[in-house]
Amino acid sequence: MQEKINNILNEGTNKIKKAKTIEELKIIKSSLLGKQGVIKDILKEIPNLEISKRSEAGCAANKLKNCFNNLLKLRKEELFFKMLEIPLDFDATLPGIPPHTGGLHPITQICYDLNDTFRSMGFEIFQEQEITSELYAFDNLNFPKNHPARESMDTYWLTEHSAQKNNSRLCLRPHLTGASIRYLQTHKPPFRFVYPGKVYRNESTDAKHERAFFQYEALIVDHDFTFSSGKIIIKSILSKVFGCDVSIRMRVGYFPFVEPGFEIDMGCLVCNKKGCRVCKYVGWIEIMPGGTPHPNVLRSAKLNPEKFTGFYVNIGLDRLVMMRYGIDDIRLFHSADLRFLKQFN
Amino acid sequence: MKVSLNWIKDYVKIPKILKSSQIAYDLTMSTVEVENTMKLNEKFNNIVIGVIIEVISHPNADRLKICKTDIGNGEICEIVCGGSNLKKNMKVAVARPGAMVRWHGENNFVEIKNTKVRGVNSFGMICASSEIELFDLFPFTKEATIINLSKFDSKAGTPLSEALELDDTILEIDNKSLTNRPDLWGHYGIAREIATLYDLPLVNFKKFMPPKSATNLTVTVKNLLECPRYIGVKIEGLSIKPSPFEIQSRIWRVGVRPVNAIVDITNYVMLATGQPTHAFDFDNIKGHITVRHAFKKEKLLLLNGRELSLSEDNLIIADDESPIGLAGIMGSEKDSVLPKTNKVILEIANFNAISIRRTSTQHKIHTEAATRYEKAIDPERGDIALSLAMQLFKNSYKDIKLTSFCDNYPKHLKKNKIDVSLNWLKKQLGKHIPNKDMTNKLKRLGFEVNFNNDNMQVVTPTWRSTGDISIPSDIVEEIVRIHGLENFEATPITTTFQHATNQINIDIERKIKEYLAFRCKMREIFTYPWMDDNYIKAILQENSKKNMLSLSSPPSPSESYLCSSLLPNLCKAITNNLRFFNEFAIFESAQIFLNKVLKSCYDSQEKLPVQHRNIAGAYVGAPEKMNLLFRTLKGVIEALPYYVHVKQIIFKKNNKPIWADNVAWLNIFHNKEQIGNLALLSKKASLDCAIKKNTVALFELDIDLLKPYSSRTNKFSHILEYPTVDYDLSLLFDLSVKWDEISAVIKDEAYSNKLLHKILFIDEYKGSQVPIKKKSITFRLIIGSPEKTLTSNEIENYANSVVKRLNKTLGAKLRN
Repeated sequence: MQEKINNILNEGTNKIKKAKTIEELKIIKSSLLGKQGVIKDILKEIPNLEISKRSEAGCAANKLKNCFNNLLKLRKEELFFKMLEIPLDFDATLPGIPPHTGGLHPITQICYDLNDTFRSMGFEIFQEQEITSELYAFDNLNFPKNHPARESMDTYWLTEHSAQKNNSRLCLRPHLTGASIRYLQTHKPPFRFVYPGKVYRNESTDAKHERAFFQYEALIVDHDFTFSSGKIIIKSILSKVFGCDVSIRMRVGYFPFVEPGFEIDMGCLVCNKKGCRVCKYVGWIEIMPGGTPHPNVLRSAKLNPEKFTGFYVNIGLDRLVMMRYGIDDIRLFHSADLRFLKQFN
Repeated sequence: MKVSLNWIKDYVKIPKILKSSQIAYDLTMSTVEVENTMKLNEKFNNIVIGVIIEVISHPNADRLKICKTDIGNGEICEIVCGGSNLKKNMKVAVARPGAMVRWHGENNFVEIKNTKVRGVNSFGMICASSEIELFDLFPFTKEATIINLSKFDSKAGTPLSEALELDDTILEIDNKSLTNRPDLWGHYGIAREIATLYDLPLVNFKKFMPPKSATNLTVTVKNLLECPRYIGVKIEGLSIKPSPFEIQSRIWRVGVRPVNAIVDITNYVMLATGQPTHAFDFDNIKGHITVRHAFKKEKLLLLNGRELSLSEDNLIIADDESPIGLAGIMGSEKDSVLPKTNKVILEIANFNAISIRRTSTQHKIHTEAATRYEKAIDPERGDIALSLAMQLFKNSYKDIKLTSFCDNYPKHLKKNKIDVSLNWLKKQLGKHIPNKDMTNKLKRLGFEVNFNNDNMQVVTPTWRSTGDISIPSDIVEEIVRIHGLENFEATPITTTFQHATNQINIDIERKIKEYLAFRCKMREIFTYPWMDDNYIKAILQENSKKNMLSLSSPPSPSESYLCSSLLPNLCKAITNNLRFFNEFAIFESAQIFLNKVLKSCYDSQEKLPVQHRNIAGAYVGAPEKMNLLFRTLKGVIEALPYYVHVKQIIFKKNNKPIWADNVAWLNIFHNKEQIGNLALLSKKASLDCAIKKNTVALFELDIDLLKPYSSRTNKFSHILEYPTVDYDLSLLFDLSVKWDEISAVIKDEAYSNKLLHKILFIDEYKGSQVPIKKKSITFRLIIGSPEKTLTSNEIENYANSVVKRLNKTLGAKLRN
């Protein structure tokens, strides 16, 4: 019997020492101490022994059990510590597992960046609906009755519906400025607000022309505000978008709803104003129109142009984003193509 | 528009130190956008005048000749040439090594090098006009004709650009920047701007007086509003011949092809003054000229050969028989200048801009003349055009006679008088500019200026009185641009602080978008506000069109309806992206439009349709993941109030969206209103959208109906003093039992004993491990007491009570 016990002890000790994982150890434990384990076998044999040897054998079996328990516990600890050890061949250069994230449209991203910038300067954000009337799209804005922009080849007019009877025509807004009048009419001056949104023009599309595009207007109306202060606004916008100090210049330009009106150019960032293909070798890139709101525009908002003045800029976000990232086809923005959109985070 | 600086110098003396690049820059900043500055002579580098001394036969080629050519400075070189008109003593254009030519008029420029042609050395090339881009000035019909420059005085060796007066700089001006400046559509107008910018004197035109012998030319103008002025001049003693080289060269430099002296002069006058003119062959005019509206369907054969069918609002020039020209746009074939023309009627007329634009758009004819008339040029300009035209005719023809004349100008253009308050002006400018400085510049631009205390009265010149300048702000612009925008420093923006910006209704859209993008792994897309008919049919069905608005001239015939839902465009985007991706999530936030009237809150006259901000999104994946897709999207909407800070969202099954699967759908409720839907796209709709192998979970909701809280809505409760226990249960239920029913039984307060903290759904299982028609639901009870640590008996008892109740009410059994 003793011999048998010794054998079991040796075998069991060996097995425990050789166990490589905690899982393996669990199996060994049940083979030694479990319901059908070797110790149970020994205990079953005890009643067959002579009475005098029974207690001895029982003691030995108990000892064996305790011994195994101790060995198992030790080995388990050993294995556990081993598991915590990081193997030397660990490859830290394997690529990371990317978190699955979505993202905002690149134009929304720039729009939100600009919103934050303008909010920090005390501007409000204004939003309006995309279908508007001829009154707000053109009449209020100093567009002559026969201005070509009113024609259907430029503006998306709606077919007549119940809202239009005996009333002016409706269209998808061709610009944002019309709705800024709505803001002027419902708020008390002085104002400073920005007005982001999509606008629509009826034209044929190609890499440089779209039917839908995103504009961003900023408007200040105040008692004292000169066009030259507008430079500060423009600089803020462009510095935010491009993340560096950009040079700007204002030159004369004509737009019906401003007087005086300006074209605003940005120093070409590709060549640092030296002249390159991107800026057509002039060193400057035309980026937005701006100016002082036309007196008729102020009047349509029931403001006295002799008392109020202001500054207005209108930024085409599509073009700005295209310039920012070197995108060469404006149609990508409305393509909903994830191969394009996934590039912007 | 192209502008020649040499031509400008006729009207204003430009000092030599003023570089053309500086002029281009200053014009861009203050007047019009100069897109390009081109030095014309650079095209003719290393091309000189040569005189042929001797023409020798080429030993190895019949068609080639060897020309001994004097190229100045005593240098004589041999050049091999295939020209058919080579003669001794002929002056030719010699391209020396380094010159760029188009070999035989081919597309690419080639650099000339000394070379051997059929075994004979050739030191350069004798050029044909087409090889150095001078074909329009020196046209030829016979092949291998080289330019004969014998009529020019220049000596051998003179650079070609000097000999032909091509030493010029051409400014290319962006026409768009000229649209509001009718006065700038000719060299004289640009010259006036340059004179003002640099304080230089501007040359004036002498007023032309017709000779007393001239009889009265009968011209009847039927419609004075559309033709405010009509000058007609009958000129006799003309012939068809080329115009003097100087005229040809000038108009050619700014992009107009020389034709003959009469046509070239009319073009020259237009390019110089901006006033279009037209010459009718007198002999072909039957009776008298009348300016009238066309009769219905009256025909007019234009000089470009196109026949027009006119409408009654087209203004035409007619003789007693038929139309002879589309007024201000183009002349007719029969009355234009013909090979035998020797008498013309020169027309210098003013036409109404709107009428011209309407007619040229209607017939799609865009000519240089129409372009200028469309900008509203002033009738007074006829005077300088007449003066210049007569001068040019006299210079080109020795024996011409002006025999008849008329100037129909009954109602003169009124100059605008504008009162500008100096105080207001200073505020607008942000700085003080002395009166005399303003006066000086404005006077050079043609304005009259008078001061009276705070008032500055400005009278506009006629050429700025056709709509360009009419209000004080226009004067501000004139002062600002002429003084240079760069000379106005940015003044700081001051502000009066009243309140911080707080716009929760605006911010909510951004919060939702950022939540979807950054927490829910969705990608934002942009689509158009109109829908594709196929997708309307697939998603919303044909009869929903009555609720939609439509465009009168849509981008395409199948895209005329405006979005009443964002789902059709979303599904189209899904279909398109499925070509490249199998699994993705997208969303769009945009406006929807309904055919319902809403009164505008801005103007009682205005009636606008109902428009809302909607947001819609989709998870797309494999069909076996349909449960996951649905539950993921449901989770997105469930958790939205938590992240976006709006009132609670609940789901109901009230009315199935038409595009939804029969069972997998929910209506989204918020603040007691239905605000949207959430569902799997039905199989039929999927197939109609050509989505064949994927399952799509969609939602759409109305952002305007969401009620944002004015602040964050997190709640704090004390951390539990005693531990809680997680107790997992797996029970078998009939397939028809819904989770909502199970959780309601568990949560029933009468039994909860206050021990239940939370119940969590863990898993649902159907399949071989459970009996047929049964499913196993696993959930977790989180149990604890606020008063003590629970004993295992208490925990078991509570769990057993839950099982018992579920068994009693829903027939649940423990899974073994």
